[in-house]
Amino acid sequence: MKQFIDQILQSPNVAALPIMTHPGIEALGKTVRDAVTDGNVQYQAIQYLSDNFNTTACTSIMDLTVEAEAFGSKINLPENEVPSVLERLVSDVDSVEALVVPTLDKGRIPQYLLANKLAAENIKDKPVFSGCIGPYSLAGRLYDMSEIMVAIYIDPETMLSLLSKCTELLVNYCKALKATGTAGVIIAEPAAGLLSNDDCMVYSTAFVKQIVDAVQDDGFTVILHNCGNTGQCTDAMVASGARALHFGNAIDMEGVLKQCPSDVVVMGNLNPVGVFKQGSVESVKLETRSLLQKMAGYKNFVISSGCDLPPHVPEVNIRAFLETVEAYNS
Amino acid sequence: MNQELLEKLSECVEFGKINLASPYPPQMKGMPGADEITKEALEAGVTPGEILNEALISAMNKVGQKFSENKIFVPQMLLSAKAMSASMIHLKPFFANGSVKRKGIFIIGTVFGDLHDIGKNLFSMMVEGAGWEVIDLGIDVKIEKFVEAVQQNPNAVVGISALLTTTMVHMKPVIEAIKSAVPETKVIVGGAPLSAEFAASIGADGYGKNPQEGILWLDKISA
Repeated sequence: MKQFIDQILQSPNVAALPIMTHPGIEALGKTVRDAVTDGNVQYQAIQYLSDNFNTTACTSIMDLTVEAEAFGSKINLPENEVPSVLERLVSDVDSVEALVVPTLDKGRIPQYLLANKLAAENIKDKPVFSGCIGPYSLAGRLYDMSEIMVAIYIDPETMLSLLSKCTELLVNYCKALKATGTAGVIIAEPAAGLLSNDDCMVYSTAFVKQIVDAVQDDGFTVILHNCGNTGQCTDAMVASGARALHFGNAIDMEGVLKQCPSDVVVMGNLNPVGVFKQGSVESVKLETRSLLQKMAGYKNFVISSGCDLPPHVPEVNIRAFLETVEAYNS
Repeated sequence: MNQELLEKLSECVEFGKINLASPYPPQMKGMPGADEITKEALEAGVTPGEILNEALISAMNKVGQKFSENKIFVPQMLLSAKAMSASMIHLKPFFANGSVKRKGIFIIGTVFGDLHDIGKNLFSMMVEGAGWEVIDLGIDVKIEKFVEAVQQNPNAVVGISALLTTTMVHMKPVIEAIKSAVPETKVIVGGAPLSAEFAASIGADGYGKNPQEGILWLDKISA
């Protein structure tokens, strides 16, 4: 979304965009399971956070099981923890060939589309960002994460075929998310952060780029999130063509900003656990101020959590983060 | 001849050449891998102890070092670990009859509620490659299963892994139960959201930020 990107690049202030929905779910007295299975509940959580926190944008849940479930994976849905994939769905060339790309009425996809539609329709004062998993991370959930790491070397053709099927679903899903009226999508591709830059280019970037090419335009921004990258595959992330890149706390943000083009928005990277969840108000303020000072002068920097805020982050810590950014901007 | 076989085996493990059929690494395509060379070495009279100490452990040390220096990444490390496992299969009978001694027993599992196993798998293979016998309890391991395992292996070291912030808090009761059952048991924890401070706060004896750090800690306590 050029409008969103241009606003960031032209503003004298640093934008604050923590990726969060769990604090909203908890404030409403709902469970994680409620929010990941009911689009209305998820929307209410997003709306609550929009109403109560002065963030630059809102985000939907970073749930990395929705797409795998649509393919047919069995999912563990604990009441108050993020869902996870229970077992691998495909294990060889035959099962990959037999895998059918699902339609968008499968699993919980309709509930996620509903949540995004309600959020986009009702939140008018700030952009709402949808979310989906990245192709390599999805393929890893379908094939088994340890096994795909080896299989890209032992049986690359089968893995490329699996990645093509994953990407076909993700392109369709992102088009549907775009149609709900959201301002963009955060593609979460953490597993690609375990690869070298060359492997990341072949097994992630080439497929992420297909999604970017299919949906990104002036009104719809792709934010590529990779919290697994420790610095080795930043070039591959840039090559995806996403207008914004989001980094985890394992990376040196100043190094990233030097490496990324100045017209690409770079987001990150306060530790969602060590700072937001386990920190005190004072330590949150200290860490926030420190990162802002280090990034001073980079107009394409957006301060954010290094990943989705986990359940049970104290609201006072989120307020401390936002107040520190506001004070810095003023 | 024997030295040449040990060097070839070490090279297979370092570069992840599992067996003859494996196409990786490309420069070793069509050549025998760790599986075939281990068989050949044993037939040639190389002792299992020499294979373990002079080929496998030294190769996995190099792999761990390269990983910690960002020279290789998770796929290459897993391929090396698979090559090491292909060799280790031929050594199992010698471990069983006591003719080859290992450094100790390492029990590992992902804490209950957590189904993510890539870190656990990676570390358990590295520990095995460092010369330990590994008992892998799998994922979502209940407290009772850890306790039962340490009671059956009272000299073992325990490793507990977690990827989620919601499950890392389950580590503390597991450590308490293990130390209540066998007080002298040493426990190391690891996983993306953990820190050394968190590890210390829950009573863990060690924390591995990466596999190499964990191996160094194990070597230190077993020395």
